[in-house]
Amino acid sequence: MLRIALVAACSIGVWAVNSVEAATPDFASEVAPILEQRCVQCHGETQQVSDLRLDSRESILEGGKRGPAVEPGNSARSLLYQHVTGQVEPRMPFGSTLAPEEIATLKRWIDSGAEWPAPANEAAEQKVWWAFKDPVRQDPPDSRVHPIDAFLAARLNEKGLERAPRADPRTLVRRAYLDLVGLLPPTEVVDAFAKAPSKEAFSELIDELLDSPRYGERWGRHWLDAVRYADSSGYEHDYDQPHAWRFRDYVIQSFNDDKPYDRFVKEQLAGDELADQSFETLTATGMFRVGPRVLFREKDNPQYRYTYLDDIIATTSRVFLGLTVDCARCHDHKFDPISQMDYYRTMAVFFPYVRYDFPLADEETVFRHTAETEVVSAKIEPLKKQVAKIEAPYKESARKRALASFPEEIQLAVRTPEEERTPGQKLLAAQVTYLRSEKFEDLISDEDSARIAELKDQIAKLEEDLPAPLPTAMGIRDGDYRFAPNGLGDEVQPGKGDREDFSGIDGTWLPEGNYVPPPAHFLPNADYRNKGQTVEPGYIEVLSRGKPFDAKSPPHRISTGRRLALANWIASSENPLTARVMINRIWMHHFGEGLVYTASNFGSMGTRPANPELLDWLATEFVRKGWSIKAMHRLIMNSESYQMASSHADPAAAKADPENKLLWRYRQRRLEGEVIRDIILDASGNLNLEAGGPGFFPPIPEEVRASFPKGKWDMAEPGPENWRRSIYLYAKRGLRYPLFEVFDLPNMNVTCERRTTTTVPTQALTLLNNQFALRQARHYAERVAKLSDEAAGQIREAYRIALSRTPTESELDANLDFLQQQTKYHDGDALAALTDLCDVILNLNEFLYVS
Amino acid sequence: MSANRRFVSRRDFLFRAGEGISGVALAHMLQQDGLLAAENACDVQGLTSPTAPRKPHFQPKAKAVISLFMSGGVSHVDTFDYKPMLEKHHGKPLTGKGRVRVRQGYPGPLMRSPFKFERHGQCGKLVSDLFPHMGSMVDDLAFVHSCKGRSNDHVLAHYEWNTGSVLMGHPSVGSWVTYGLGSENQSLPGFVVIYDHRGGPFSGPANWSSGYLPASYQGTVFRSQGDPILDLNPPGDLVTRTQQRARLDHLARLNEAHAKRHPGSSELAARIASYELAYRMQGCAPEAVDISQESEATKQLYGMDDPMTEPFGRQCLLARRLVERGVRFIQLYSGALRQQNIDTWDAHSNLIENHTLHAREVDRPIAGLLKDLKQTGLLDETLVVWHSEFGRMPISQRGLGRDHNPHAMTAWMAGAGVQGGQSVGATDEFGYKAEEQVLTYHDLHATMLHLLGMDHTRLTYFFNGRHMRLTDVHGDPIPQLVS
Repeated sequence: MLRIALVAACSIGVWAVNSVEAATPDFASEVAPILEQRCVQCHGETQQVSDLRLDSRESILEGGKRGPAVEPGNSARSLLYQHVTGQVEPRMPFGSTLAPEEIATLKRWIDSGAEWPAPANEAAEQKVWWAFKDPVRQDPPDSRVHPIDAFLAARLNEKGLERAPRADPRTLVRRAYLDLVGLLPPTEVVDAFAKAPSKEAFSELIDELLDSPRYGERWGRHWLDAVRYADSSGYEHDYDQPHAWRFRDYVIQSFNDDKPYDRFVKEQLAGDELADQSFETLTATGMFRVGPRVLFREKDNPQYRYTYLDDIIATTSRVFLGLTVDCARCHDHKFDPISQMDYYRTMAVFFPYVRYDFPLADEETVFRHTAETEVVSAKIEPLKKQVAKIEAPYKESARKRALASFPEEIQLAVRTPEEERTPGQKLLAAQVTYLRSEKFEDLISDEDSARIAELKDQIAKLEEDLPAPLPTAMGIRDGDYRFAPNGLGDEVQPGKGDREDFSGIDGTWLPEGNYVPPPAHFLPNADYRNKGQTVEPGYIEVLSRGKPFDAKSPPHRISTGRRLALANWIASSENPLTARVMINRIWMHHFGEGLVYTASNFGSMGTRPANPELLDWLATEFVRKGWSIKAMHRLIMNSESYQMASSHADPAAAKADPENKLLWRYRQRRLEGEVIRDIILDASGNLNLEAGGPGFFPPIPEEVRASFPKGKWDMAEPGPENWRRSIYLYAKRGLRYPLFEVFDLPNMNVTCERRTTTTVPTQALTLLNNQFALRQARHYAERVAKLSDEAAGQIREAYRIALSRTPTESELDANLDFLQQQTKYHDGDALAALTDLCDVILNLNEFLYVS
Repeated sequence: MSANRRFVSRRDFLFRAGEGISGVALAHMLQQDGLLAAENACDVQGLTSPTAPRKPHFQPKAKAVISLFMSGGVSHVDTFDYKPMLEKHHGKPLTGKGRVRVRQGYPGPLMRSPFKFERHGQCGKLVSDLFPHMGSMVDDLAFVHSCKGRSNDHVLAHYEWNTGSVLMGHPSVGSWVTYGLGSENQSLPGFVVIYDHRGGPFSGPANWSSGYLPASYQGTVFRSQGDPILDLNPPGDLVTRTQQRARLDHLARLNEAHAKRHPGSSELAARIASYELAYRMQGCAPEAVDISQESEATKQLYGMDDPMTEPFGRQCLLARRLVERGVRFIQLYSGALRQQNIDTWDAHSNLIENHTLHAREVDRPIAGLLKDLKQTGLLDETLVVWHSEFGRMPISQRGLGRDHNPHAMTAWMAGAGVQGGQSVGATDEFGYKAEEQVLTYHDLHATMLHLLGMDHTRLTYFFNGRHMRLTDVHGDPIPQLVS
């Protein structure tokens, strides 16, 4: 057990003093690491191979099937020593050997009496971490004010601080827009609110924004960060995932519908197992598919499936539970009470999964589609055979021709009769006998060429009769991966890859009749080739508190029901983490930081909540309000704390709480690259609000594409079809859109806990010089020029559009000077000068920050 | 440095610092910026740019790194790892080494090298006739013959060399180095990548991604022709330098007025400064790549007088110019992912043509780079690393080429006080597997960091609940190279 080693490590100083002679190794620093790293995986808490445990002195002395492992003072007679030296078979650790120094250390330790320092304070270790306990709902400290304000004020008052006054109305309306829909507020909305900035008016504004379909496009993006969404597969080929966008649209729609969060969780984890499954819930299981995948020669590389399972476990546990269960893949979690067995129990929950593309059509339509396809295929098939027949002799000649181009030794090997070939010649001959289609077109006679062309014409005509492809969702369902159809590059060739042999096993890819899911195994070293005992699915022990794992096959399909059981357990108020983790994410996106700063890590390596009473109150309120996310927006945004000014100066507060942890003023923060792009388009008047559907491709320089030519990317000219909102921009793992990349686009391969915000000169270069920014600045100027035909008016309009306010007198003067100077430079071209000004405005801090 | 001040909220800073940045770097920054003494961190105008130079853990031998990545897989047994047994056993099956797994098709029999080996230098290193110019430098090179990777897939092996992990999404070594040490020149990016003139390598920009490290540490691609950085200047000749200045002045004026209305907001000031930095970069980056300033003799040294060696020669010359200007980490790629069997070192079916072509392209430029660095004294504080993503099989692929071999690779290091003329580790008699002093990429990374004055176990970044490291939980500096 790791715990032993860690506890022992704490006592290192004491022990070093106590050791009497130099020959005695230090247990904590020398012996324990060997036991911990090389032995206890198979002989510890999780597994006891041969009934032996090597994680305490008692169990070592008691031994296993073969007897006591150690005879203190006599290494030669100790089984432990005999096995690690190979004197007794099997040599341990199984499959590897200890270094001579390690063996020597064990010998010295045994010979000096096999001392084992007493474990440290067990009681302290048993203390339950705050996040694993149920939230405790306390009444807000002051019932006369908004509960959030009451909880925050209580902490502020302790330090003698007060929260900042309300922000000015124009700032407030801009904040609400950028926060909820990620767009600029229309000038008339700003003006109207500025005239009557009552609390009620703000409340109504929030309701309107929550009703806007733009809301889901803003908040769906946060969720896509968490579930590491992309439209391409990543890795070598970075394949297009043509149906991924349906999952993206599903997320947007779910936010717009204010889908209860518990339902949202269940749909994504087990949409196929829900009794009321629908196209929507099947699409939701795309969460398992949108992560990074190789998708090439996967059967030759069985380890990939375990990599994907790890991605699924990591994403699920971090996103929904704020736990890093994946840390326990190779060893018990070093800091949280999550065992390696917890990891493999969780893996067993997901283990039956297979990738599946669900047709989004009713059975009859699917049936008809299949039938129609078969009718056409039946006509095409014989034509294809005819083509193949004509081509066959040419392919054979081509093969011979190719063979003739090989070095003499290869040809000799092929010419030599099989039984006379040397072992080396056999290998050489085998290498060329399965030669795949070499170029043969040039060998075909004109007559045959014409025949082939005609047949191909006929085929092409027939193909026009094929029914249009059905809409498809990429998701998962239970089945047996061992019988999955071949994927790209999976064709069997002898000698290729590390393909697992499943012959002799009964089963089908999709479950039929008496479905037995493939067994999940404990993998002691996370090595799929070295399988340990089979593992049954279960919950994470420290959280489930003995709740039995109750998976039942759903009524409508053959499935284990394991994911549904997990989903029901996660999406439950009994789970101490789920509501806390989600409400913390919502809080984080409103205030720039979560109450728990490490939004995907509520474990002991995460930070403790800044205001635990508030967090727990919000978590319970979230559940009470039916897990409604929109209710939480209303709750938060109607508080005075949300409406505070960010520009407030308070030297006392700055001194007492320089990090603004207690929220004495609103946190100003830079917008994400996606929002920056959206509001630039919004300012120019070019934003195309067409929602949903396959991702669009923005123009990029040829050379950027050349840096990674794989996968899909359509080169485009600037135009309205690529002036859509950023969430619809094709998210390509291998080639990130430069404007987003430079503005801290998160890594799309693992869940993003929280975006980092960096400030680097390449951001400035991008906004100053990028074609997109310059073009939109021009459109923005044209828009402004239409609104007013004199310079001061244009400046005012430009400010109103982009900054939601009018310029101050001194700003107006400075801008007038600038316009004059630029007009001179542009030989009297006022629009060019105005474009320069608009370009400057799009680079202003005030434009790029939410205040 | 004053124009380059970065202001970070203390919360943000302390979190990152406490959890991520090594203690030494942290203490240094605090000291330098007077942050510890500050009464109000929001108002502290201290912390410098994220790429400001930081002190290493201990006295470094190298200030900068040039990584020469031969993309596609250089055959070690045809270049620096001479195996006479291949001559003797040519045509016989490779036996006694366990199941031989190849990437494509069937394993063939052992195949002798079609290239001639000759002894070079005082150390008498055997080098094939593919690399006559590098051969002349062997007394400056420390060869590592026993590198071993985990994947025979180009892309995963690229990830592994660059990030220590075969999975996509980890920070590259250049990002770690700039994260740990910053860069000496704030007017240029700290981590620069120049890829093959034919295009990007296997897996493209993922190779220089900053992964989970902040975006400020990602590699910046330098083009070897024209404007070196994307969007460095507006398209065409739209905006002159004076014009750019006029706009920036106006922008600064408006931004400063705004900042005054938001007292104590550190990020705003940082962004104002970043525009000044961008302006400086507009001047400095073109100057850095302006090789017209170089003498004809220098250009010749790099092979720029020969169309075959000109492109990589230019890459190498730029690398020297960037090192001179204080850039911390420079990675050059030979090999582009267009037609991979032709444009990269991936010699499955044409070992002789493929390796002859690519060796010719890089041999003279690399030797020129080494000579130039040596004569200018820069080699003493610059670590040059030559490597590929894996080696190639000692067995034949259809008598024409060799398949991928992750079990063995030869790399070399030069400069930064590394003892030249030595060969570390060894492969088995056929060059199939690393056998003596087997080393992983983690060991190479640990060595690089060590030479840069960093302890690889202490260069950490807190992410997703763990103190992440370039070397994960593995790796040791290679003793022969760091002593």
